[in-house]
Amino acid sequence: MSETVVIAETKQGMLHSVTAELVSAANALGSAPTVIIPGTSDSAAAAVAELAGVGRVIACVGDCFSTYDAASWAKAVDTCAPAGIVVCAASQNGKDLASRLAARRSISVVQDVVAIDGSTLTQPIFSGKAMQNIVLSGDAVISIRANTFAAVGEGDGAEVTVMNQSADIATAVREMIAKANERLDVAEADIIISGGRGMQDPVNFVDLERIADALGAAVGASRAAVDTWDEIPHSMQVGQTGKTVNPSLYIAVGISGAIQHLAGMRTSKYIVAINKDAEAPIFKHADYGIVSTWEEALPILESELKALLG
Amino acid sequence: MLTYEGVDFYDIESQLSEDEIMVRDMVRDWVDEEVIPNIEEACREGHFPEEWGQALGEMGVLGMTIDEKYGCAGMSYVAYGLVCQELERGDSGLRSFASVQGSLAMFPISAFGSEEQKMHYLPKMASGEWVGCFGLTEPDYGSNPGDMITRAVEDGDDFVLNGAKMWITNGTVADVAIVWAKLDGVIRGFIVEKNDAGFSAPEMTGKHSLKASVTSELVFQDCRIPKNRILPDVKGLKGPFSCLNNARYGISWGAIGSAQACFHSAKEYTLSRIQFKHPIASYQLVQNKLAWMLREITKGQLLALHLGRKKDDGSWIPEQISLAKMNNVDMALEIARMARDMHGANGILDEYPIMRHMANLESVKTYEGTHDIHNLILGRWITGIQAFTRDL
Amino acid sequence: MPNIAVLVKRVPDTNAQILVSGDRVDLSNVKWVMSPYDEYALEAAMMHKEAQGGVVTAITLGAPECDKVLKDAKAIGVDRIIRVWDDSWSELDSNQTQMALTSAVKEISAEVVYCGKSAADTGAGSTGPGVAERLDWASASNIIGLEFEDSGIEVIVPAASGNARTGISLPAVVSCDKGFCKPRKPNVKGIMMAKRAQVEVLAAEIPASGINIVSHTPPPQKAPGQTFDGATNVPAVVAALRNDANVI
Repeated sequence: MSETVVIAETKQGMLHSVTAELVSAANALGSAPTVIIPGTSDSAAAAVAELAGVGRVIACVGDCFSTYDAASWAKAVDTCAPAGIVVCAASQNGKDLASRLAARRSISVVQDVVAIDGSTLTQPIFSGKAMQNIVLSGDAVISIRANTFAAVGEGDGAEVTVMNQSADIATAVREMIAKANERLDVAEADIIISGGRGMQDPVNFVDLERIADALGAAVGASRAAVDTWDEIPHSMQVGQTGKTVNPSLYIAVGISGAIQHLAGMRTSKYIVAINKDAEAPIFKHADYGIVSTWEEALPILESELKALLG
Repeated sequence: MLTYEGVDFYDIESQLSEDEIMVRDMVRDWVDEEVIPNIEEACREGHFPEEWGQALGEMGVLGMTIDEKYGCAGMSYVAYGLVCQELERGDSGLRSFASVQGSLAMFPISAFGSEEQKMHYLPKMASGEWVGCFGLTEPDYGSNPGDMITRAVEDGDDFVLNGAKMWITNGTVADVAIVWAKLDGVIRGFIVEKNDAGFSAPEMTGKHSLKASVTSELVFQDCRIPKNRILPDVKGLKGPFSCLNNARYGISWGAIGSAQACFHSAKEYTLSRIQFKHPIASYQLVQNKLAWMLREITKGQLLALHLGRKKDDGSWIPEQISLAKMNNVDMALEIARMARDMHGANGILDEYPIMRHMANLESVKTYEGTHDIHNLILGRWITGIQAFTRDL
Repeated sequence: MPNIAVLVKRVPDTNAQILVSGDRVDLSNVKWVMSPYDEYALEAAMMHKEAQGGVVTAITLGAPECDKVLKDAKAIGVDRIIRVWDDSWSELDSNQTQMALTSAVKEISAEVVYCGKSAADTGAGSTGPGVAERLDWASASNIIGLEFEDSGIEVIVPAASGNARTGISLPAVVSCDKGFCKPRKPNVKGIMMAKRAQVEVLAAEIPASGINIVSHTPPPQKAPGQTFDGATNVPAVVAALRNDANVI
């Protein structure tokens, strides 16, 4: 059995909670992994060492980690990480790093793994319209979808080694631009409330935003809404040609449930649909369907949530 | 919304070349993205969106069978037919625009015009910069154009035209009009330009059909044009009729587009509409209608495709075009009416394309040779006896 | 003037229904298209040529039926079309795919490669960064903005704390998200050019696959949900989300 390596996910220098899920996935592959935590310092390494199921921790420290640069990250991480099966988060940068790392080692990369059963890995293909089950025939880099593996708890504390790295940055960040939409990105959110063309007018999305604020949710939109209204940016689009999301809760309001929208959100753990058309296809996929106009349902939803969540 | 994939029960696509499929898909995508979302508004406002004409020019489908030398594409008649099919799936008025520009205005210049005329007019018409129209029908002479009243007389270096044309698609918006008039008792073609003195083109209003298409009168009151505006290479009814053959050919494909739109809508609607606990598509009477629609569309497609191949190899006769135009418009109109029935009350709403296609097809049935005139053309071919006219 | 490459892939239309038959997906009845993000990559490549001149080469990997996406690219206006393939290949893994494409990029001496951020079939997004690594080039993925400069390009990529305006020296591989451009459409003249264009077919040396595809299976089906009639049931649904589903 070759070694298993986890590349910890960080966000602005802090450990991202999904790392506990990556360790869980690595454990499912049969070993206590070496966890590589890249950063400009080793400050987040202690948090990794506290996770249960971790074999050892290597803090991969270098200036190149101040912003994401695929080439230098891959080079630096490659130097620190032992050979074996490498586990990354299936985040935007995680998948990118996984690709470069695998290419660097001339091994396969398997993205978006959602299940590990013995030696069989399962990944969605065709935006989740089918699943692909594969067996590795050697070392590989795999990325793990968030919310598919139970996070490991706290452990006894693993040994931390610091390895200093330097790699030339190939891309230079010149400026950070505030995102036009300050809200949570649908790709990141654990709860999403999305509106469709049934919202009638883009100004009515403020009703969704208020509920999103109460829930700590992101606001999404269907392709129909994005195509129809300039005010609804493509970054909000959930669906086959937008973002594929996998939140715990997806609330679809005024969305009929076109096949390409379903492809982007069907793996959500729970789906709530609010639509005035009882025959809308979305209801076939909803765990909880409410046949109602959004004008009637949303005020009640907002007040209920506010009462519940304070 | 599912991507529209057309109706192709007999795998007609396997008979198309790669470039024909690409042209069809290009127009299909444009119709999906630009036309279908906006057509109802255009109909309500009763105008033809100018940008659609420009887009047709940018795509290069105006006069697309004409030689590349004149800024056109030199593509096959089958490709042209497929374009007509996809445009008319959007709206018959849109297809009419392309038919008139390509088959009725650009074609006569390319077939009967001088080299100077071709070089002057065709590239700008192909790009959509100049819009063309075709003046044959008159208020009192429709099926019988041979007795037209409009006259041209020579006057020094000019021709002077007098008379009126009616039911002219694109007339008011046209920069160039191909006008058929009698010169010394012989029908000749003339190129009249928008700003020629004595020429006006008032729009006809109040239509319940082809609402997103401009229909006009052309009025000539001592309209004076230079002598180099006559089409030199044709005399008699052969001129306008050869234009009509091309346009009718395009209509035989276009009607399939309308029929497919209605069939598609009827299929989607009846599968989703629940009555007596089940989708109405699960009932035999509805399935019988859907099967009939598919049957007629498939026959119409095979007819149009074979005719198109004959157009391309030159082995066609005009009677074959008459049969295709008549049959395919007839079946499309019946399918539209049947689809309206299957949509129930929803069928009258502009949320569905049905009633619009149905109303459009009533015009298409009549223009470019009425249904009955095409029957008489076939009757003459079968029996050798013309039945258009007799002494009473 | 730069040699510009764009990687395009033939995939099932994103609206296609994907059925599993036996242990593989059955793609015999799907409509095939150029992968949607590749259309943005193609537009980026054409924009690059318009800004700085050069030659645009579209490259695909696949059997002869994949010529269609190259013809589609040709109709848009690319200069050369290349397909990499060997009839003995099947079910290539990422390693093999990237090696084959990398050899084509080297063959044409490209200085910049554009590709879609992911293909609509695998959704993996591995190809762009993987090819970059094999070439030892810089890469930027998921770009949402693009400008051309004398010495390179400037892209905008999403980052944790905003969007990063980032300068890249060429050579580089750039994977494109949608949103920064409107892909141009073909026209009849382009289609006639495509009709006459010849696809260049290249062979490549590739390693053994690192994975075995055991099976394709349909996605897991959920238990049937409940539908309530009327907004008065909203409190009951909220309670269920709280107490049964534990998601709020």
